[in-house]
Amino acid sequence: MIRLTLSQMRRSAGRLAAAGLAIVIGTAFVAITLLAGNVITRTTYDSIAAQFTGADLVVRGVPADDAALDAVRGTDGVATADPQLMTYQQLEAGGRTIYQGVLAEPTDTSVLPLEVADGSLPEASGEIALPTDVAERLDAAPGDTITLVRNVLEGDQSSEEDAWTEVREQLTVSGTLTDPYGAYSMQGGAAVAPAADVAGWEDDLAAPGEEPVAPTTMLVTLDDPAGVEQARTAITGALTNGAAASGADTADLKVVTPEEHAEAVASEMTGGENVMFTLFVLVFAAVALLVAALVIANTFQVLVAQRTRTLALLRCVGADKGQLRRSVLFEAAVLGLLSSAVGLVAGVGLGQAALTIGRGMDLGVPLPATVTITPAVVLIPLAVGTLVTLVAALSPARAATRVAPLEALRPADAPSAARGAGRVRLVLSILVSVIGFALLGGGVALSTVGQEPTTGLLLAVAGGGLSFVGVLVGSVFWLPRVVALAGRLVGMSGPTARLAAANTLRNPRRTAATSTALLIGVTLVGMMSTGAASARVTMDSELDSRYPVDVTVSTDLSSDPTSVAAGDAVVAPVPAALAGTVSDVSGVSRVVEARATAATVTGDGVDEGLAVTVRGVTPDDAASVLRSTEMVEPLAPGTVVVPEEVSENWDITDGQALTLTGPDGTLDVTAAVTDLADTGMIVVPDDLSSLDPDAPVTSLWVGLDDPSDATSVVPSIQDAVADTEAPADVMGAAVERAGFQQVIDTALGIVIGLLAAAVVIALIGVANTLSLSVIERRRESATLRAIGLSKGQLRGMLAVEGLLIALVGAVLGVLLGLVYGWAGAAAALGWAGTPVIVVPWRDVLVMLLVAAVAGLVASVAPARTAVKTSPVEALASE
Amino acid sequence: MDTTVYVPIPDEGTAARPTVTPAVRARALTKTYGRGEAQVRALDGVDVDFTAGRFTAIMGPSGSGKSTLMHLLAGLDSATSGQSFIGSTEVTGLNDKALTALRRTRVGFVFQQFNLLPMFTAEQNITLPVELAGGTVDRQWLGTLVDTLGLSKRLTHRPSELSGGQQQRVAIARALIAQPDVVFADEPTGNLDSRSGAEVLSFLRRSVRELGRTIIMVTHDPAAAAYADRVVLIADGKIAGDITDPTPESALAGLDALRTVASR
Ligand SMILES: Nc1ncnc2c1ncn2[C@@H]1O[C@H](COP(=O)(O)OP(=O)(O)O)[C@@H](O)[C@H]1O
Ligand SMILES: [Mg+2]
Repeated sequence: MIRLTLSQMRRSAGRLAAAGLAIVIGTAFVAITLLAGNVITRTTYDSIAAQFTGADLVVRGVPADDAALDAVRGTDGVATADPQLMTYQQLEAGGRTIYQGVLAEPTDTSVLPLEVADGSLPEASGEIALPTDVAERLDAAPGDTITLVRNVLEGDQSSEEDAWTEVREQLTVSGTLTDPYGAYSMQGGAAVAPAADVAGWEDDLAAPGEEPVAPTTMLVTLDDPAGVEQARTAITGALTNGAAASGADTADLKVVTPEEHAEAVASEMTGGENVMFTLFVLVFAAVALLVAALVIANTFQVLVAQRTRTLALLRCVGADKGQLRRSVLFEAAVLGLLSSAVGLVAGVGLGQAALTIGRGMDLGVPLPATVTITPAVVLIPLAVGTLVTLVAALSPARAATRVAPLEALRPADAPSAARGAGRVRLVLSILVSVIGFALLGGGVALSTVGQEPTTGLLLAVAGGGLSFVGVLVGSVFWLPRVVALAGRLVGMSGPTARLAAANTLRNPRRTAATSTALLIGVTLVGMMSTGAASARVTMDSELDSRYPVDVTVSTDLSSDPTSVAAGDAVVAPVPAALAGTVSDVSGVSRVVEARATAATVTGDGVDEGLAVTVRGVTPDDAASVLRSTEMVEPLAPGTVVVPEEVSENWDITDGQALTLTGPDGTLDVTAAVTDLADTGMIVVPDDLSSLDPDAPVTSLWVGLDDPSDATSVVPSIQDAVADTEAPADVMGAAVERAGFQQVIDTALGIVIGLLAAAVVIALIGVANTLSLSVIERRRESATLRAIGLSKGQLRGMLAVEGLLIALVGAVLGVLLGLVYGWAGAAAALGWAGTPVIVVPWRDVLVMLLVAAVAGLVASVAPARTAVKTSPVEALASE
Repeated sequence: MDTTVYVPIPDEGTAARPTVTPAVRARALTKTYGRGEAQVRALDGVDVDFTAGRFTAIMGPSGSGKSTLMHLLAGLDSATSGQSFIGSTEVTGLNDKALTALRRTRVGFVFQQFNLLPMFTAEQNITLPVELAGGTVDRQWLGTLVDTLGLSKRLTHRPSELSGGQQQRVAIARALIAQPDVVFADEPTGNLDSRSGAEVLSFLRRSVRELGRTIIMVTHDPAAAAYADRVVLIADGKIAGDITDPTPESALAGLDALRTVASR
């Protein structure tokens, strides 16, 4: 029987190839995912190992506080001992801000894996050495000063809000550093400052009432690096004794070599982020494999149908059902194992290629030279690929056992359509779909109306998944109907199209399975892009009110209105030429000058002595730069626009009568509360003049041509402002907006990239189904040719068939994707305001186009085979 | 452009009748399969004429080259050498496009296995050639065909709902719908029981007698051949005899004569 199976496989090799290709792609995907996980682990190990490369021992598991440090330093054979301490601080220079990790300088600087490129390491308090790229961005060379901006707790610390004060300190750049081993590449590089400075900054970060947290890792160098083992015991002893005296916990204490430390950290990571990453990507691999399983199931179904006569003959000569089933399953196992092996090799090859290219591109992260092949990388893809193929062949194997011996005696004809699917399946699919969609609807309602986003989202996700399973299981019933409808429409265009439409309907199950494979991928892609588009628009309106002006250039941003009100400080005006300078920056569409003065507010129930910044802008000017004009719509003479936040803080209600008192006069106005995000109030310029005729221009409101260019335009504005040496700050709200959008776009890109594998496999499935059908319809193609079908018409017929199968899958997928995308966006973003429902037309169009082109392309090879069929074969009598 | 070549018809040795135009002619038609040792000469310099408006049977033992002759006459396969004509068109010189056009308008086929399209109804099957050619169906002619072939009650049925004889009658109607110059039928009764076979054969004869068609039928069955106006006998790829107005007995005798020649 095995010999027979193998010879049958050889005869069907071509037909099995496409199914095999589906498994190859799926398993390659799995292999690459596992390899990528290994690369992350490896990169982590390398970077940790590099961080500690200069140390002889690493002490971990106990706080590296002064007592512990003293104990270690006092141990025989120890040369130096330093805590490994890194603090993140905000550095500014020339209007640019960078958030940078700063490392405490060790006693023995040879421990540092960093190299001085220019200047030197810090020698005194107030100095800092910067990574070369950071120094470049801050435009700071050794000897220059930069600003360290910190928030420090002050006063009685009774209320957290009042206690934080911004502190600005000048630091001198002592030198620039390179990181040749990539030790801190995963942390965005490391600056170095004297240990005492760094410890002080870090301590100031502690929340009110909390003890600063001591670092948990200590770097130790030895007098004699060969004495590692003695030193290890001695340090352990010293720390345990010291701890015993103070009552500290040393259960986790470990004195290890740098290699051991790196290994421990990397393996800790393997249990955390790494697994999350791998699992995340494996979900997509699973989708790809599911689609591959459909393609395989389809192929075997067709093969069994085409071999009906042979199978019946075997039954006639005495084969029992079990033998036929085992024969099909054996065939599947061989195919699965072979394809998985090819997929594994392809995956490893691709992974290695990606790594080689990645190393060549200098990504800033030191990548390993070769992929790490662990037993898991080899065994999991092989096992999964073979298993998926076997499972996919189960139903065809059962079909094989149902072939009656009698069928050997029937005249050979094109295999008839598979028996209709069972009623159980129909009921099950309807039930699952209904429950799923109900849950989905409930989840959406819960998170939008019920404002229970977490439960709502969970419910929606569960419902979405369930309903999709129901829809897929039921596709055998409803998809052929859709194809029939589409076919009837297409069929009106002529006899070729009518032939094609009729052909897609003769094996409804096969057509359904093929379309379904594509439907899965397209639905998921459609869902993601719809969800992202809806999220983007919902975020946009949210961002519009949070960041109404793209960029603000002002001198009063950091000033506190309360101090202004005291009358002791009127903010510095923005230099008159600055507006022109800014509007000359390319990408800037409009600049509006806003004058401002300080005023006190009085009114019923308003907190006594409220001091605010009052700006004067004309309604037209405001509308021309604001992203959302609603926020200044009420602006008119006699009206003051009060930002929502200010109104809440000071108990001002919409429509309330207020009196503003400025340096040179008072003004009675009506409050109009809008959701403008600002710290000041806005009146028309004439009203402002009555408060203070000499109110200076303190801010420029800058509108950009395209806010998504903010990441490049805002730095240009910063440069332009810095060049004038005006004491103005540039606040790029648009940068944050662009940042949000970039996050969404990047996430979407990655997800769609991961889903692409499933779509590609499904398209292979379309080509496969067509070729199988063409093989099976040889005689029919010949007959058609004999009665006058031209070669072009035959090609056209197959093209329409491919188009029909692909487009039905794609159109339905897009529709389902829209529904799921909207539901998902509503469930996920219901808390952030009314979710906006968006159709991502461009993406939809691209998907349909890809499907259409792929459907056409899928028909090319089968058409070539079909056209080669001579009409003579119609007359051949088997 | 028509690639018509006129070849003088030799007066002697063939069954040419000067009063009627030959619908189909073969001149020195030769077909070999394979190469070297394995070469088979399926047709060996065949000269034959088929008269328009007649029902002709090609008869011979199995493997004698009947099907090959028909394929070459109909332009379904290419000749190794020699010429074949339908009317004044030299079929052996046409490219695929011209052959497709020829099959659409001037040739019809009836197959042993019926070869109807399972997903179409009887009527759709019948009218398919006209639609493929982009023409409009002559409803009157369709009515005549359907009546003559006794299919009026079966037009909406699919092939799977028809008996073998009915299917073959649908196939005959499909072959005649475009009013072709000639209809080729290869063993049209090979898959039918004798009663349905007889029925189909009388329909073929009626198509010739009442509708003025030309039919060339390949068969190895003397009883079937007896329905024809004339039998052309073929053996070892050569024309081996000619029987006018055959009866089952004369056809059988002709075939037997060939067999004895072959076995000698
Ligand atoms: N495609 C082919 N390849 C090789 N030999 C062929 C082919 N078709 C027919 N033959 C050979 O040509 C001869 C005539 O065949 P055919 O015309 O089919 O005979 P008939 O129809 O009279 O039974 C036979 O010997 C047959 O084996
Ligand atoms: Mg034959």
